[in-house]
Amino acid sequence: MKRKFSLEKKMEMEGFIFVLPWIIGFIAFLAYPFAFSIVLAFSKVTDLSKLNLKFVGFSNFTRAFTVDVKFVPALLETVRDTLINLPLIIVYSLFIAILLNRRMKGRDFFRLMFFLPVLIGTGLIMKQLMGLYLDEDLLKSIGAADTEVRKAAGAIDLPNELLVYLGPELGQFVQQALDRLSFILWRSGIQIIIFLGGLQSIPDSLYESAYCDGATAWESFWKITLPLMTPTILVNIIYTLIDWFTSVDNKIMEYITEQSFKQLDLAYGSAIGWIFFIFITLLIGIVFLIIGRYTVYIGER
Amino acid sequence: MDKSISCQKKFICFVERIKNINYEPKKIFKTIWNLLIYFLLIDFTFVFIFPFIYIITNALKSPYELVDMSTRWIVKNPILDNFRDAIVTLNYWNCLRNTLIITLLSALGQVLSCSFVAYGLARYKFPGHKLIFGIVIFSLIIPPEVLVIPLYLQYSKMKLLDTFLPIIVPCFFGMGLRGGLFIFIFRQFYKGIPRELEEAARIDGYNGIRIFFNIILPISKSPILVTSILSIVWHWNDIFEPMVYMTTPDKVVLSMALNSIMKNRAYLFVTASGEIVSPLAMAGSLLIILPLLIIYFIVQKQFMAGIERSGLTN
Repeated sequence: MKRKFSLEKKMEMEGFIFVLPWIIGFIAFLAYPFAFSIVLAFSKVTDLSKLNLKFVGFSNFTRAFTVDVKFVPALLETVRDTLINLPLIIVYSLFIAILLNRRMKGRDFFRLMFFLPVLIGTGLIMKQLMGLYLDEDLLKSIGAADTEVRKAAGAIDLPNELLVYLGPELGQFVQQALDRLSFILWRSGIQIIIFLGGLQSIPDSLYESAYCDGATAWESFWKITLPLMTPTILVNIIYTLIDWFTSVDNKIMEYITEQSFKQLDLAYGSAIGWIFFIFITLLIGIVFLIIGRYTVYIGER
Repeated sequence: MDKSISCQKKFICFVERIKNINYEPKKIFKTIWNLLIYFLLIDFTFVFIFPFIYIITNALKSPYELVDMSTRWIVKNPILDNFRDAIVTLNYWNCLRNTLIITLLSALGQVLSCSFVAYGLARYKFPGHKLIFGIVIFSLIIPPEVLVIPLYLQYSKMKLLDTFLPIIVPCFFGMGLRGGLFIFIFRQFYKGIPRELEEAARIDGYNGIRIFFNIILPISKSPILVTSILSIVWHWNDIFEPMVYMTTPDKVVLSMALNSIMKNRAYLFVTASGEIVSPLAMAGSLLIILPLLIIYFIVQKQFMAGIERSGLTN
């Protein structure tokens, strides 16, 4: 028997065969459009049907910051929403995961319920459930006065009596906070799952020895659970950031889609898409650097 | 006579039991604590169930009952007209067929290709395997809008618009909707499998691809279940890609059809309590999530177990 390759080479070849489909997909559906959108972002479409491009340098980018009045507010709103919601989601889902990790009756039922949003919590159905599909234009078109409009099923509603007691401004603020809260509850299914997995990877022996040394549950949460959960928290923060930034229904995404497919300004659409993408990458990088310093891994010490 | 004796016995037992209960303050505290937790959990659960109740009741109401102040939660004469109308307006069966084709084929493609690629990334060390894994993860943060414009132009040149191919084909190459995440899940799972199994097979003269299909794939049921469910759900609910690639009414998928109903003000009602609802859209969305809910309740046990064990963590 003749052997053409050494065993090591042969294994490398096999590994390559495994990754080959991905490489083809990467070139066709990722690298190519990625490169093409850079070209688009730096050019102006002179003829849409034949796709004649003219190189215009940075003018699309400067347009986004200087001429366009809608882009920067949309960007800021998306970022603000995400940064407000992020800590709430993390704390809430960690809390729920700890509760669901206990041994208790009806645990399966609660798990079923808390993972329900994972299944239907994406896309339109959630909008329908939360009543968010009633956008302002639609409401104006049927001539609804602001006061009589309540979002359809916005889950948590303030009773009218309380609204009167709080006064219009404070009442509205509390109502907005509640709306945000129910929205967060609906968007944190995957995070709960990730945390549950993380909690189960902490060895019981740590808690037992802490208990023997006289630590209370409260102390062992702060001294054992939280430090060992830091890698999971990091994963969750990154996941949440990505999930919120790239979900199709946030303000900036809607704006990019509108620019490129309704206004058919493909070049400008890709330019603002690129600004947003660079922005996300920077933000996630910063988060990674800051939180990466505080993470603890079991093996270390 | 007999009965009264047994009653007495029961009573005595009961008293004994009450006497035996430990009235330590710690235990009482614990009970209250547990009750509190249940209370909290039920509270949160309510947030998830409430919209469903709301939608179901409103979908069952007739126009008269929508403006009737006395009907809020319990519908006196539930009607199915809204569902019948929704099926017609959504063009339900046609859209369902389209959605099923896209969803099932994409999920199949993603499960096959992602598990295949992930196995290569988990087990083999060839030049560039770290780089490839890095790109897989990095590809998750690229906003779909950036990529979709060139792809749209490309497909329109190749006359592939208005077919299902632009959505399905990338899934067979490890791309598609969150393909990177699925590769990640599979890779974490394969990293956790002991190598002995494969080494034994290799001694028997199996090559890598046979090992993958004959040994590895049959034992990776739980990540397959998790990824296929997630993939089905995400494709089912996705509206962005179909909206870009599909143009004729014939190729509309369920989510797009629902969107057009929701945006149509002719279907809106102002109820007695001043809420604005669209009973037709509510009936429609129930019809759309029904298949998903059925799947979910059938596989929920395995799904839950799989999702906790599979590699979403670490």
